[in-house]
Amino acid sequence: MLETDDFIVDLQQVTFRRGERVIFNNVDIRIPRGKITGIMGPSGCGKTTLLRLIGAQLRPESGRILVNGQNIPELGREELFSARQHMGMLFQSGALFTDLNVFENVAFPLRVHTKLPEDMIRDIVLLKLQAVGLRGAIELMPDELSGGMKRRVALARAIALDPELMMYDEPFVGQDPISMGVLVRLIRLLNDALGLTSIVVSHDLAETASIADYLYVVGDGQVLGHGRPDDLMNSDNPRIRQFMQGEPDGPVPFHFPAPDYVDDLLQKERRR
Amino acid sequence: MRTRTLELTVGLFILAGLLALLILALRVSGLTLSTNGDTYTVYAHFDNVSGLTSRSKVTMAGVTIGQVKRITFDKNRYTGLVEMAINSDVDTLPADSTASIVTAGLLGEKYIGISVGGDDLVLGDGDEIVDTQSALVLEELIGRFLLNTVSKDD
Amino acid sequence: MNGVVDRVASLGRIGLDVIAAIGRSGIFLFQALAGRSRYGNGFSLLVKQLYALGVLSLAIIIVSGIFIGMVLALQGYNILKDYGSEQAVGQMVALTLLRELGPVVTALLFAGRAGSALTAEIGLMKATEQLSSLEMIGVDPLKYIIAPRLWAGFIAMPLLALIFCVVGIWGGAMVAVDWLGVYSGSYWANMQNSVQFGADVLNGLIKAVVFAAVVTWIAVFQGYDCEPTSEGISRATTRTVVYASLAVLGLDFILTALMF
Repeated sequence: MLETDDFIVDLQQVTFRRGERVIFNNVDIRIPRGKITGIMGPSGCGKTTLLRLIGAQLRPESGRILVNGQNIPELGREELFSARQHMGMLFQSGALFTDLNVFENVAFPLRVHTKLPEDMIRDIVLLKLQAVGLRGAIELMPDELSGGMKRRVALARAIALDPELMMYDEPFVGQDPISMGVLVRLIRLLNDALGLTSIVVSHDLAETASIADYLYVVGDGQVLGHGRPDDLMNSDNPRIRQFMQGEPDGPVPFHFPAPDYVDDLLQKERRR
Repeated sequence: MRTRTLELTVGLFILAGLLALLILALRVSGLTLSTNGDTYTVYAHFDNVSGLTSRSKVTMAGVTIGQVKRITFDKNRYTGLVEMAINSDVDTLPADSTASIVTAGLLGEKYIGISVGGDDLVLGDGDEIVDTQSALVLEELIGRFLLNTVSKDD
Repeated sequence: MNGVVDRVASLGRIGLDVIAAIGRSGIFLFQALAGRSRYGNGFSLLVKQLYALGVLSLAIIIVSGIFIGMVLALQGYNILKDYGSEQAVGQMVALTLLRELGPVVTALLFAGRAGSALTAEIGLMKATEQLSSLEMIGVDPLKYIIAPRLWAGFIAMPLLALIFCVVGIWGGAMVAVDWLGVYSGSYWANMQNSVQFGADVLNGLIKAVVFAAVVTWIAVFQGYDCEPTSEGISRATTRTVVYASLAVLGLDFILTALMF
């Protein structure tokens, strides 16, 4: 357990359903301020949903989601607008606005939330792009960028307003080793240099564990375990163990449910 | 695409649409911009106006000199009251002219033909043409024809 | 027996799904049109969309209009010849275009060209999480992305329908007067006598406005509501064209019954 009481995000008894499926069942998750927290788990366990709940794109069925003390689902429109100024989100696909060039994309949040003059906006955009190493690409259109570059521009856009909280949705998916390395380095660097709190949602164990200060493992609608990466590696919990060690069979079974093997074979013979 | 060019093309597009509306209004649907100063009103009662509609032509000697403005039912005289707009420069219609409802061709549309009378007085705005000839209704014609043949046999 | 019950139950479920979708689309429309976007110059967003939906559809509308006008004149002449009423071809072409073909064909072409483009564009924005990004930055995508496209459709399509009618009548004139030898005076004079501005032109325009609203609404909603995958987008695009076309034809019948 981390020795801190300062949690920037505090999910208390949150339940969320999609249709009839329970995605989260009374979960408690606490994100410590100033650190990188990884949220991991098997595919489809609702990790992205978690980010959307924090960002108020979805509302929980019950429970409280406190960000800096404010209960997000209860905020009015104006309050939500200013709360969003302090959150940055990097989507899995980058999600750059395809009809705007790199400069306009990064400047977008600045124009929405502030009334800064053009030259100040330009300075800030240059700063952010420099931080992600893409200042030279400032005039390009999104379709002229590679996948990794798109993500970095999206990152620059996400930090344009200097948020307190950065959320990364599956940032490592489908990246080549170099881009991966760049992103990992950027996430760590930005977190420390800008005093951010970062939440990284991923199922990429190696990369996430390498930069996370703290990890949550989520599955089956609940928190299966949480702790420092090293502690979790040596966990006794079989589910955590299977996930962390990458074991093909365990609590998440290898075989899809099927009738008895011998019967299946014999029946086929008889029918013929 | 540059914003200026974009705005210009959109502006042209909207103008084209409005122009189309204008063309449809004036050239296709015969909406006229004439004000009341160009025409004066003449009334006529008919026993039967069947087939005549507003905007039907009013002609004299085959030349169109006006238009039917309105057709209403006269409650007191049990006739159809036709209100015509005659061009102001046709101001020499004798007061005893005849107005007949005639058909263009065999199955064509109905219009009003005015035949000249002999009076010195001329029709002015708001005057009425007294001598009228109603529309020929096919059924009445047939009926009259049959009646004639029957009475001839007597 | 169970099979029958299951089938009835699934029909009921489909019915409920349809009603739910209609409800969603109604709420969607209301939220998009009520109020203005917090950010962004509404007027320049509208102009951009007017270009994309209106100006870029001009080509297909004008070409189709001319051809349909020409065919109407040709066929009309052939039919009227038997009654000795060739001079009526002018009013036939004009009335057919103004009352029916103008609004309806424009709406169908618009649904196919502009409607499907809208659905695909918005669906792609949804799939690439651009709409979510906007939300996270604090801009309501309904007001920033959807509303300008809705208004552009409402304005552009009726204008296209008017242009369609005009080029159609002109195309008909070309065929009737220049080719078939109908006297130019009769073509236009008969037309002017029988076409009434209020009853024919305005009613046709009202139809066009109604169709514009329905087609644009369906196109935009299908894009917004689709599954954020490439199959989802292609299914949504097909749905736009099919639903919009059916809606236009159905509404045409209702409106014609009411107006004429």
